[in-house]
Amino acid sequence: MTSPKQNSSRIDYGLVLILLMMFLVSCLAIYSAQTTGQYADNFVMKQAIFYIIGTGIIALVISFDSEQLMGMSWYVYGFGILLLAFLIIAPDSIAPVVNGAKSWYQVPGLSLQPSEFMKVFLILALGRVLVLHHQKYSARTTQSDWLLLGKLCLVTAFPLLLVMQQPDLGTSLVFMSILLGMIFVSGISWRILLPLFGSITAAATAIFYMVLWHPGILEKYLGVKQYQFGRIYSWLDPYNYESSTGFHLTRSLLAIGSGQTMGKGFSEREVYLPESHTDFIFSIIGEEYGFIGSSIVVSLFFLLIYHLTKLALSTKVVYYTYMCAGVIAMITFHAFQNIGMTIGLLPITGIPLPFISYGGSSLMGNMLAMGLIFSITFNERHYMFSSDND
Amino acid sequence: MKKTKRKKKTRVSIRMNMMFFVVFLLFSVLIFRLGIVQIVQGEDYQRKIERTENVTVNTSVPRGKIYDREGQIIVDNVPQNAITYTRKKGASQEEMLETAAKLAKLIEKETDQVTERDKKDFWIMKNEEAAKAKVTEKEWTRYEEGEISEDDLYQLQLDRITEEELQSLSAEELEILAIYREFTSGYAMTPQIVKNKGVTQKEYALVSENLSSLPGVNTTTDWERAYAYDETLRTVLGNISSSREGLPKEMIDFYLSRDYSRNDRVGTSYIEYQYEEVLRGQKTKVKNVTDKSGNILDSQIIREGQRGNDLMLTIDMDLQLAVEKIIEEELWRAKSQPGHPLLDRAFVTMMDPNTGEILALAGKQYHVNEDGKAEMRDFALGNITTSYTMGSVVKGATVLTGFMADAIEPGHTFIDEPIKLAGTPSKSSWFNRGGAMRVNDHYALMRSSNVYMYKTAMKIGNTEYRPNMSLRMDAQQVIMTMRRYFGQFGLGVRTGIDLPNEQTGYQGKITQPGLVLDYAIGQFDTYTPLQLAQYVSTIANGGNRMKPHIVKSIHEPASETGKIGSLVEDIHPQVLNRLDATESEIERVQEGFRMVMGSSQGTAARYFGGASYQPAGKTGTAEGVYDGPKREEYLERGESLPMTWNITLVGYAPYDNPEVAFSVVVPWAYQSSAYSTPINNTIGRKILDKYFELKEERMAAETSDIIIEQEMQLSEEEKRDEEE
Repeated sequence: MTSPKQNSSRIDYGLVLILLMMFLVSCLAIYSAQTTGQYADNFVMKQAIFYIIGTGIIALVISFDSEQLMGMSWYVYGFGILLLAFLIIAPDSIAPVVNGAKSWYQVPGLSLQPSEFMKVFLILALGRVLVLHHQKYSARTTQSDWLLLGKLCLVTAFPLLLVMQQPDLGTSLVFMSILLGMIFVSGISWRILLPLFGSITAAATAIFYMVLWHPGILEKYLGVKQYQFGRIYSWLDPYNYESSTGFHLTRSLLAIGSGQTMGKGFSEREVYLPESHTDFIFSIIGEEYGFIGSSIVVSLFFLLIYHLTKLALSTKVVYYTYMCAGVIAMITFHAFQNIGMTIGLLPITGIPLPFISYGGSSLMGNMLAMGLIFSITFNERHYMFSSDND
Repeated sequence: MKKTKRKKKTRVSIRMNMMFFVVFLLFSVLIFRLGIVQIVQGEDYQRKIERTENVTVNTSVPRGKIYDREGQIIVDNVPQNAITYTRKKGASQEEMLETAAKLAKLIEKETDQVTERDKKDFWIMKNEEAAKAKVTEKEWTRYEEGEISEDDLYQLQLDRITEEELQSLSAEELEILAIYREFTSGYAMTPQIVKNKGVTQKEYALVSENLSSLPGVNTTTDWERAYAYDETLRTVLGNISSSREGLPKEMIDFYLSRDYSRNDRVGTSYIEYQYEEVLRGQKTKVKNVTDKSGNILDSQIIREGQRGNDLMLTIDMDLQLAVEKIIEEELWRAKSQPGHPLLDRAFVTMMDPNTGEILALAGKQYHVNEDGKAEMRDFALGNITTSYTMGSVVKGATVLTGFMADAIEPGHTFIDEPIKLAGTPSKSSWFNRGGAMRVNDHYALMRSSNVYMYKTAMKIGNTEYRPNMSLRMDAQQVIMTMRRYFGQFGLGVRTGIDLPNEQTGYQGKITQPGLVLDYAIGQFDTYTPLQLAQYVSTIANGGNRMKPHIVKSIHEPASETGKIGSLVEDIHPQVLNRLDATESEIERVQEGFRMVMGSSQGTAARYFGGASYQPAGKTGTAEGVYDGPKREEYLERGESLPMTWNITLVGYAPYDNPEVAFSVVVPWAYQSSAYSTPINNTIGRKILDKYFELKEERMAAETSDIIIEQEMQLSEEEKRDEEE
């Protein structure tokens, strides 16, 4: 149906370029990180393999058009929910407790974190809910807006609760940010959104206030654990908690701060930081490449978001727009939270820096999302062509 | 329909743009914060890194030595082989255990320091699976739910380890544990001694050969204190802590704030404690540059260490040894005679009355050990830490107090007669039990008139004696006045000696005015032998209370063995206060003291007659209830405590230009005057004889040196003459 020439121009080369740069940054940073000798594995090699697998995932997903994606969305959503639910009853032999949370399937040679994929499945499902809702209620009323809000929240609630019980605070927050991002673009009236965002801000402020001054109440009524307070305390005052919870933050600040403007250069690090190849990868970038290097990485993410936004605005398929919004919310939250925690802007939560941190599930989840984005350009022309014919 | 769709589409576009703007804001915040951390605060962080990643380590150096005033070594350091371990930062348990196991094969290590807790921890390390099995499923789930902490879980495991399981640890494993224990007890990057006692040459060689396979282990030299005169003065020299004990707990903050580390050895008592600052030396400071995983890449010496400075004591070791020998002989002699069951100790302090330098500080304690064998123990410390009622030796202070309080004047006379107060038995002088005779201050001191002292005390209280009177005076006022003046001699106050734990004696409570009279003849408050020496020195030198000191000077470590290094500080004589008395008043007492020993009627004339060095002094006997170490035995038996006699002597010589002052104290010498012994006087005579004998010997040696030198010069001149 389409000639190879046409086919090649359907590839989103801008995005390819961005991902290639991400790949380079990731390999450089992980290579440096593993010089700490904390683990014997060659993580760079593994990460490269994950990237190749990720490219395969993109190739797999790229050909699905919006109709097919929408059609699949409930099935993949259900599949994700099943995986998450099965974690609860799965025996320790295939779903061990790692760092106090049961969020991994582990069989020899393969480990998988279903929540990483669930993020993308959630985006697909929410997008479908939005599109169907707007088809049904073409004339928007406050009542229909409330209904939509309820549906969106309900769809998010299942995976959210399943992840929260693992417990995995970081990923729960990602789900919430995806939800918020999609509510934002859903077209729900400001009359609802303003009070909603206002009350979320107020609730966050209130909880924060209680953590600082009345932790007993939260502990008693919300079942918050002591170590979770510790993260907040150590974030606000890392040096007083240096020996325990503040250790990572003080080390990370030390590493990034001492990188100064120009950085220390490749593999010239001085600060020992455990687990730096995963969640604290940005500390390595900050220390070795300084302000310039870390700004470039932040800009790279910004470039990615810019690219996604442009795509969202140019596409005529509204489902794609919602998909883009969800991916934007997911990546923005990941990047902002991860980088923010390494420089003391936000409390420490265990979520990785997309595309850069070492980790198969996380990278493949993100590549899956990218596959969806690639599919927009891949199928758009075809769609436009047929639309012109319409 | 299309319109609304387009409208919807534009609304979504607006929202997308707003979302993009929010993302832009968030990323701007990141960049802004990065700018603060990396550009604004970057240099601070860099400085911090240089502090934490370049670790400075202090390596201990030997302590200073201690010499006597003639330059003879008293306390030395002997090197001993030691095996140390330096833990690198981030060293894992497995690595350390592995090294410990290798080292255990090479050396013998005592396991008696290993505690049960150590064994349990070790057992859990070794038997991870079995330890896990000690926790029930239920407890695991409780742990996962966060109801019990990891510490609780561990405690449960500890509690459930059985005795048999502990017994299962083999002797070899115990040895590994003992070594591992030493490894972990130190600080990262600070050498920790694993074994320093009894390291054999073979062990030392074996470990040295295998250093490359024993990361962190090193062979080095440690120092142990050696005492050239064994037990002599040992109590006064004091102790130092071992490297295992480290800093004393009660003073840990004090030392840590002064650049000590926890396993440093410090002086814990007496001279070693008092002069810690001098003796400790300067540690070698090494800066270790480490890589990211804590391995030492490079060591630079920032500051060379230096052995601690040496102390030269004021003690004359030859005199000290001779004095101790004299005390021992006299004590043995007295104990071998009947009538001295409670006698168990004697003290001598000798000092230069002009400078306060302590020449000899000797004390001996008779002691029956567990085998029932009698032995003499060093008790030099008793001179400053124990106090007794001293008796008439204080009368010099009583007379001068009378002068200073304007109660009597030089040459004042009183009638010596038995004193009979209403409701009390009569009190009289020893030499005059019944009659009445007029005596002056000289005579009162020479023959030790109690009555003269009583009447002086009454005069201070503005009272005239009448037979059978009831004594009505403000006794509190009088005793306060007298104690104040006695304090000017050093009696009942700190002497200010450069040693810790000095006692000042007990002050009795005045319940009736008659007790003031007891105070006047030294039978009320208690004083230490050192206080007596300071008191008699104050009279000897014409009224200056000198601060006694045992360290004469501080010297740098000598570059050559057998020589004393250059002077760092000389401890100068220090006058604590001057007596309020005039020179002529002090001379009255000095003359009285001379008559005690020099005049035929003097109480000590029999013992000091014919002494060429012209001594002066005052004898003392005090009767009192026994309060020594056997007190408990009496009380247990339900017996009342016996009355005993303390006999004492103070003196100085020569009387017109005193160079040595001394006090002799023999508590609980006998119970009944039938067995009285002049042991105080015989000791006093012998130590003075010895002092002047040593002096003469040394002068003779010096002059012979000079003569030899002159002869050599002469012979050289002759040679030159011949050559010419």
